[in-house]
This record gives sequence, structure tokens and C-alpha cells, in this order.
Amino acid sequence: MTQKHVGRRMTRTEDPRLLTGQALFVDDVQMPGMLHAAFLRSDYAHARLVSIDVSAARERPGVVAVFTAEDMGDDWKHGPPLVSPPPTVEDIVFHSRTHVPLVKDKVRHAGEPLAIVIAESRYIAEDAVEDIWVELEPLEAVVDLEKALDPGAPLVHDDLESNLAAHLVQEKGDYEAAKAQADLVVKRRIYIDRGAAGAMENRGIVAHWDVRAQQLTLWDTTQAPIPIRNGLAAMFGLSSHQVRVIAPFVGGGFGPKIMMYYPEEVLLTWATLKMGRPIKWIEDRRENFFATTQERTQVHYGEMALTKEGRILGVRHDFLHDTGAYDPYGLTVPLNTQSHAMGAYDVPNYSSELKVVFTNKTIVTPVRGAGRPQGIFLAERLLDIAARELGIDRLEIRKKNLIPPDAFPYEHKIIDQAFAPLVFDSGNYLATLERAAAAIGYEKFIAEEQPRLRAEGKHVGLGIVSFVETTGVGPYEGARVTVETDGRVSVATGVGTQGQGHFTSFAQIVADQLGISPRDVRMVTGDTAEFHWGTGTFASRGSVVAANAINAAALSVRNKVLKLASKILETPEEELELADGQVRVADLPHRAIELGELAAMANPLRGAVEPGTEPGLESTDYFGPKYGATANGAHAMILEVDPETMMIEIKRYVTVEDCGTVLNPLILEGQIHGGVALGIANSYYEQLVFDENGQLLNASLADYLIPSATEIPPIEVLHEETRSPLNPLGSKGAGEAGTIPVPSLFAQALEDALQDYGLEILEMPMSPNRLFELLHEESKTP
Amino acid sequence: MKLEGEYIFDGPREEVWEILRDPEVLAKALPGTQSLEKVAENEYTGQMHVRIGPVSGVFTGKLVVSDELPPESYTLTVEGRGAPGFGKGTGHVQLSEPEEGKTLLQYEGDMQVGGRIANVGQRLIDTASRSMIGQGLDSLNNALQARLVGEVEGIEVEYVPPSEAKFAAGVARDMAKEMLPPPQTLGIMAVVALVALLLGYWLGSRSQVDSD
Amino acid sequence: MNIEYPISVTVNGTRYDRDVEPRLLLSDFLRHDLGLTGTHVGCEHGVCGACTVLFNGQPVRSCLMFAVQADGQEVTTVEALGTPDDLHPIQEAFLEAHGAQCGYCTPGFFMTLVPFLEENPDPTEEEIREAIAGNLCRCTGYQHIVDAVKLAAAKLGS
Repeated sequence: MTQKHVGRRMTRTEDPRLLTGQALFVDDVQMPGMLHAAFLRSDYAHARLVSIDVSAARERPGVVAVFTAEDMGDDWKHGPPLVSPPPTVEDIVFHSRTHVPLVKDKVRHAGEPLAIVIAESRYIAEDAVEDIWVELEPLEAVVDLEKALDPGAPLVHDDLESNLAAHLVQEKGDYEAAKAQADLVVKRRIYIDRGAAGAMENRGIVAHWDVRAQQLTLWDTTQAPIPIRNGLAAMFGLSSHQVRVIAPFVGGGFGPKIMMYYPEEVLLTWATLKMGRPIKWIEDRRENFFATTQERTQVHYGEMALTKEGRILGVRHDFLHDTGAYDPYGLTVPLNTQSHAMGAYDVPNYSSELKVVFTNKTIVTPVRGAGRPQGIFLAERLLDIAARELGIDRLEIRKKNLIPPDAFPYEHKIIDQAFAPLVFDSGNYLATLERAAAAIGYEKFIAEEQPRLRAEGKHVGLGIVSFVETTGVGPYEGARVTVETDGRVSVATGVGTQGQGHFTSFAQIVADQLGISPRDVRMVTGDTAEFHWGTGTFASRGSVVAANAINAAALSVRNKVLKLASKILETPEEELELADGQVRVADLPHRAIELGELAAMANPLRGAVEPGTEPGLESTDYFGPKYGATANGAHAMILEVDPETMMIEIKRYVTVEDCGTVLNPLILEGQIHGGVALGIANSYYEQLVFDENGQLLNASLADYLIPSATEIPPIEVLHEETRSPLNPLGSKGAGEAGTIPVPSLFAQALEDALQDYGLEILEMPMSPNRLFELLHEESKTP
Repeated sequence: MKLEGEYIFDGPREEVWEILRDPEVLAKALPGTQSLEKVAENEYTGQMHVRIGPVSGVFTGKLVVSDELPPESYTLTVEGRGAPGFGKGTGHVQLSEPEEGKTLLQYEGDMQVGGRIANVGQRLIDTASRSMIGQGLDSLNNALQARLVGEVEGIEVEYVPPSEAKFAAGVARDMAKEMLPPPQTLGIMAVVALVALLLGYWLGSRSQVDSD
Repeated sequence: MNIEYPISVTVNGTRYDRDVEPRLLLSDFLRHDLGLTGTHVGCEHGVCGACTVLFNGQPVRSCLMFAVQADGQEVTTVEALGTPDDLHPIQEAFLEAHGAQCGYCTPGFFMTLVPFLEENPDPTEEEIREAIAGNLCRCTGYQHIVDAVKLAAAKLGS
């Protein structure tokens, strides 16, 4: 088969609708008789609910209903865990404490919902929220991750003995023995703080129970419509076929739009079932800062043991991971951190003790990067510090330690986020790093440019780091491919789309299999009425798992097409080809039949059916990888710091990505650009600031600084292509690759730019203020 | 949040003490105060309309005076809550006479805020509080002058408190002074954000517009 | 219920007469009362720029204005630019340069860019970045947007 479309820089088929404002987002859904919901949320991070009086709110004209936890009766339940808790293995402690739809006894983070108001308009609903009088008895809040485990610390969950949510130790080899052999052991405390996903579209839901049809429809900004459907059906005693969840166009996901379930999803469903009227809730930006999950806070006590030649003998890190007030997402994020704490390097010995901690803050679930940036930050930072202490060039020390190309599949002998053995499938890590070094002009910069610029008084620094990204995890996705009688092809898959260009790259795959134009593929994603097996869009898996399912289904349809055409054209299948929307005899192109015509023939009339015939040119297939594919890359940048203001200017930014087969380079570049932008935000601009009472102090886009076009530099994207052996397309994910290495890159480049100051950066995010403080501290203690 | 400062009144300490402990004068001196009622000896409840940057709304609160040592010192405990959030704090007020006819008021306290007022008004709270206290003390001083003149001349001089609008304008002016971008601010992004915040963020919550 | 006031607003060349509450935001009026849902709302406090529309030809944040302020005025939204079969040159450029990912912030960028490119037909990259600094995008890292603006300038100029 000739590959015609996969790999092409094709423009997107979904764009005409998106660019003209015609694409449907959840807030665009309008229904007759639709009501609007608003929530009363706790101002306190930790408090006992004494009483709540909603009578004045109920009396306000235009208010249809007000509900509290009490009103839910037996329907009030804790949410189910979103991912399976860890298997019951010795040495794993895991306390599952999931969130509730409305607070019944105790508030555990600011913004937790206390009551829902349903009214004729959102304006009235918000007025009525202010009519509610709630009596909360404030409790001391658990905010600081390390103090949370002190004996006598206030408890987030009163039934537990401490705020420890989970405890897990992972060992590979014998770190202590390796350390005893080492010429150098570097030890540092590393801190990474919280950020928000910051999708431009906040969350939103429209829930409608059609009493006559006995059908529940939910338009939801979710990344995982199928699990939401299955869960809601089970929760409310409905058949799964009575529940349709539609994730239409979603205005950015980045992780937090996958949750099972947000309280609002449960409450709107519960309320529409009770009231039989459609209800809409659209999160506002301030709510988003409390009610939508966040990520990143970890404290690491890290060690790296090395020989004097710079070979890594082992890595150890004991770390605390903040899970917020509840832990519905299990151990996914900190297990990802462990999977990346050895970076892209061949590390024979590893030891890690993880403690997950409950705090009175918003729940933590993956945000683009999902624990990986913290792991890479640890590995890269310790390596940088070791290189400095050993007097080895930072590029050299990396080359010395990268997993060599002949070592794949590389078994890490620890478990990954799916509790399966961590294996890196393939790659050429040296190639990506060398390519990045060449592109940024490493040697020349160090030898000539930097000394020249420094002589001019400029504080210019370079950073170069390597990284891995575990992607494309299971369990599986599926797809249905159908040739329509007009010759066009319909494809349905369960994953939702939040801007990744799925409509286009998936269509390219189908087009190649069936010899049609990708423009003739009609794609449906994220509607459970169209396809209802699968999990969702997360963990950089769309282009791996869903894409391979679509490829498999398209291949099955191709085989059906060939079989039928062979009969009609009286030619062996091997002599047929699919091209230009036709099946034709390869040597005699005039002997051809249109795909649409063939589809009509595949739907036989009475009497023409032979036993065993399946109608239609249609197939449903699934793909589940044995384990996740691991992508790799290297980033390099040159930046200048103004030591007066600490403002930075990024002079150049280069990425080299190896995500296996590239489906569409244009879309891939966009993914990388966006990922890097979030990484830059995580490194120098964005930080959720909580006070000692658990109050978030920057819950608006005026204070939480999402970078604009003047902060994000042009990004040069280069590719290496090492096909993954784990799937027929050879693809690996790339959705998070841009983000993962950026904090470690920033730290190195900032240190390099400010090398006169002997600065060590062991925390992220930095900011002009924080950098100023650090330099000030350094100069006080020369 | 720590609050501290001092202020010099143009009058003797006893008179200052009296005026500070007169709820009616206090209510007038702090525009936005909608009511202040004595509910017990040294305990008051009241309602106050507060605007800090983007956040505005009515706070319902309680004020308790303790450790009273006339005319030298007392402790104030305030607790308030409303749609914009909550605040509570304790402050210590000390009066001394550095010179004849002048009274030095020194205050220090600790304030804790939460809810919307903390979440979106954070970087304005400090300046706004200091400005409000400063202006409040100015108008108390004006009230004191009116009273002193009245006493001398044997007539009642009516004290005209500043209007809420004038007061708010004063707060805005003080805040603007502190907002000249320091070198560390983030260039155009910060300027855009500030302009947005000053011009219109208070519109952000739909219902707030109504409650104004 | 609150009192409603009659307003008459011309949106994309069509005159609409409606009774609205004085507190109704212009963004909600456009989206919910008129059904012009191409204008998106991202923050409701004037920072993200997603809700940008033209108000008598000038870009404004429709989440920071009341519908009553638009009485007797002209508003232009993304719906006035082009259709899927007949894209505006700026939209064409965004298609070709992959300037949109999730597409949520995109209409706001367009409404900033229409007057910008009229006044600056041949902008430098720096001018482009400054011009769109009031519009936030979380997906693209801005680079393809900047490419698209350059391309749009070329298309409009030719």
C-alpha cells in the first residue's frame, strides 16, 4: 500500500466550522424550557458545616429549586474512584477517599459545593446563591505538604490516623550498594508547585431527562464521554442505552476535563431526572480555579550516585505528592513521576519512597505532563549539579548516560501508572540530543558566542536537556468505519476531541486504507450514541490507541471491499487497487467500480443474501497495546536575563521530538508548540498561590498569568522518527512532550545565564520575583 | 495579613478617645457603613458596604471592644462575612500624647480574609485597607475638629462626613499610586491585566452588578 | 424581576429590537438572546479576549459591556466574517497555517485582527505579537497564529 496521506502536512477538516463560529460547544446548546444552575461554594478550605438555610433563596422569584446534601437523600454518595486503586500488594498503602456531590458534614477545600440553585436564568440563580445563609465552623487548614504529616496536624479525613493517602516504595537493583561504590553523591531538596490547566473554555454541562422518551442526554465538556455514560447509568439505575453523553467541540482539555465524576455532572443529572427539564451549568473562571482539578505539587529529597567519569550508578528520591482533598485519580500522577525520575538514562539502581498526602486544596488529577515534568526535573537537575561538581560538560554527561539504541526494549523493573512493568519500547535517544545540540549550535555558543555576549555585559545562558514521555497507554479504543452509498466514509470513535485535530489525522489513516480523499471522511468523536466502547482522550494516547483502532477498522473494511469487488470485477483480490474512490484492476484502470456503488451492492435485496453474509462495507475494530509506547526528545534554548528586572527574553527555542510515525506534521507541530507554551508558563509565569488558610490568592486571569504571544517565543520543531514496534502504525504519543522537559531546561538555562551568581535552581515555577529573591539570598551568603 | 500604622489627631487624648468610642461617629466616618448598633456593652453589630477593586458587597459583622484602658488603649475584634467572602481580625489601638493638644494613635493588628475578596482582590487588599483606615481616621479627625469648635463656641457644628463616592475615589487614587508598575512586573501582560481589573472586573460576577 | 429596557442594536448589519435587563452583559445578549454563539466567553473579566467583538468598528470585550450600552450602536461578530464555504481571508489564513486548535479563543483573535490588519497591512512579527497580546490561547503557543496573521496580511494585501 502506498502511503499517501499519513505523514502529510494536511490542513484540518474541522477548521471551517471552528473558524466561522459554527462549531458546537456545550454553552451553545439551547433547549426550550432550559433552566440554569449556579452553586454555593465554600469560602473556607476546611470547616464543619453547622447549618444551611436555603429558604430565602427558594422564595426568590424565578428560582425553581434549591438543593442541599440533605435533599439528595439516599442518592447522596461518594464518587467512585476514577482509576482503579492499586492492587492489594504488600508495601502499598492506599486510602481511597473520593469526593461528594454536595458537602454534608465537612468542607475539605475552598470551592467545594454546598448547594445548587436552579432558576429560570443564570442571573437569577446567582442572585439566589447570595440568599443562602450558611453557618460554617472554620477548622485549621492543612496546606503545607510537609507539615501535613506532622503528628498532631489537623486531619483532612477524620477517620484516618494521619493525612497520608498512600505509601509506596519502588526499588530497582540495590541503590545503597551502588551509593557505597560511588565517587560522588549529590543530594538536593527539590520543590515543584501547583498550576492550573487553564483551558480557555471552562467546564460546562447541559443535562436533559426526556421523560417521554425515557432518555437522558448530557452535553459535557468531558475528555471521557463513554466512562461518564457508563458511570451515570449505573449510578442512577438506568440502562446504558438510555444515557447518551456528547462531548461536542471542547475548548481545550489538558487533563482536568477527565474526572469521574465532577460533582456538577452528578448533580445536574440527578436534578434533571427529578425535574424533567433541561438544565445548564457553565463554570465561570473563578469557579474553575477551585472546582476544576489541578496538579504538580511535590517535594523531593533526591540523590544521584555517580562515578567520577560521570556514569550514573543510581538515583534515589523520597517524595511527597499533594493529592488535594481527595484522591479519585489514585496513584497515576506520582507513578508517572517515578517512571520519569531516571529520565532518558540507563540507571541501574533506583529507590523511591512515595508518600501521597491529603491537603485542604482542590483535588489533584493529571494536567498535561501529569507527574512527568517533576520526574524529569529531578533527573535533569541532579545530573546538571553532578556535571558541575565533576567538571564534566553537561552535554557530555548526558551522552554518557542515555539509554543506547540497542538496549530496547529497555526494562526498568519498576511499575508504571498502570501497575504494569515499565518498559521503554524503542528510540534513538542519542540522535535526538545530538540533533538538538547541533540545531542550537551548542559548541559554538559555549566557545564563542557566550563569552562574547558576556563580555558585552549580557547575561545569556543556554539549556539543553533530554527527556522521555510514556504515552499511549491502554486499555483500548475502538472505531467503526462505514462506506456510505455516496462513496464517502463515516468513522465513529469513542475518544473526544479538544483541539488535537483528530478529525483530520484519523481521516488521513482511513483515506490511505480506502483510497479516498481525507475530505470525504465524516468523523464523529465523543458521542456515545455513535460509538460506546472505549475510555477517553488522555495520556497522549489518541494518536496511538484510537488511531490504531481506526486503522484496524479501516483495514477490515478494505478487506471487505476487495472481497466484494473481486467477485464483481471477476478479478483476484491481489490484482485490485483502491484509489480515487474506486476499486479497479491495477493494470486495467477502466475496469473499476465506485466505492459508493459497491456499498450499495453490499446491502443486498431480498433473495440475494447468501447464508453468513454481513451487510454493508462496515467494520468495528479495537486496539489495545501490550504496554504504552515511550516517546523521547530533547529541548534546547538560549535565553537572556536582565539582572535588574529579572525579565527574560528567550532568544531561541529548539525541540527535537521522536514520537514514532508522524501522522500529520502540521498538527504535531501545533501540539509541540502548545506543550512548550504550557511548560514555559509552568516555569516562569503561572503558580497557584495559597495562603496558610488554604485561600487561593490569585483566582483570576488578571492575577494568574497565562502567557500571551509576547512571552512565548518562536519554537523550532525538528523530528526524529523511530517507529514503535507496539502498534501497526508505529506511532507514539506527543501531546505532553512539549511540556515535560521545560522546567528542567529553564533551570539550567537560568543558572547558565546567571553563572556569576553561583545560583542553584531547585524549585519551579520561577518568576521574576522569585528569581530576584534567590539572587538576593545568594548575595547575602557569599 | 498584618496591619499597622499611626495617625496624629489634632486634639487632646480624652476627646479622641470619646470620639473613637462613639458608634454614631464611627459609622459616619467610615462611608459604606449602613448600620452600627450596640448590642451589649462593648459589642456592636453592623453592616458595611465594601468595595475592594473588583469585589464589592455588603458585609454583616460584629465588633467587640475589649481590654479597655481609657483613655490609653483597647483591643478590637472584628468579624464580618457576606457574599464577597469573610474577614476577621484583631487589632490593638494605643493612644498617647506626644505633645499638648495632639494625640498619637498607633494601631497594629492581624487580619484574615477569605472567599472572593481574597481570591480576586488579593493584591489590592493591603493598599485598600490602609487607604480606608487612613481616610477613616482623617474623617474622624474632621469630626473631632467639628466637635472641638462646637465646644469652644458653645454651638453644635454639624460634621459632614465624606460621601461614599468621594471615599471610593480616594481609595482608588491610593491604589493607583501603588500600581505604577515595578520593574519586576510582567510587561504588557501585567498592564493589560491591570487595566482590565481596574476598568471592569467588578462586572465579572453577574449578580454583583445587581447588588450594587 | 428586574425592569427591562428596550434597546435597538445593529449586529452584523441586522437590526434587533429587544427588551433587556440593564445588567445583561453584551456577551450574553449576543450569545443567548440573539443566538450568535460564535462569540465565546473565557473569563468574564476582560483578560482572555475570547469574547472580543467590534463595537462601531473597534474591538471591545463583550463580557465587560452591558447590552444596554449597545443601544443604537453597531456590533460585529465572527458570524459576519465568512462561512465554511466562503471563508474570510483571515479565516483562510488560519486554516492554512493551523492557527486554531480547539478553536475556542479563535473568534476573539479574528475580531482583534480585523481592525489591526486594516490599520497595519504589513505588520512585523513583533507588531503582530503585541497586537494579539490581549488574546489568550492555551493550545497553540501562538506560533501558528503569528504565521497565520502574516499569511492573512499577504492575502489581504494582494
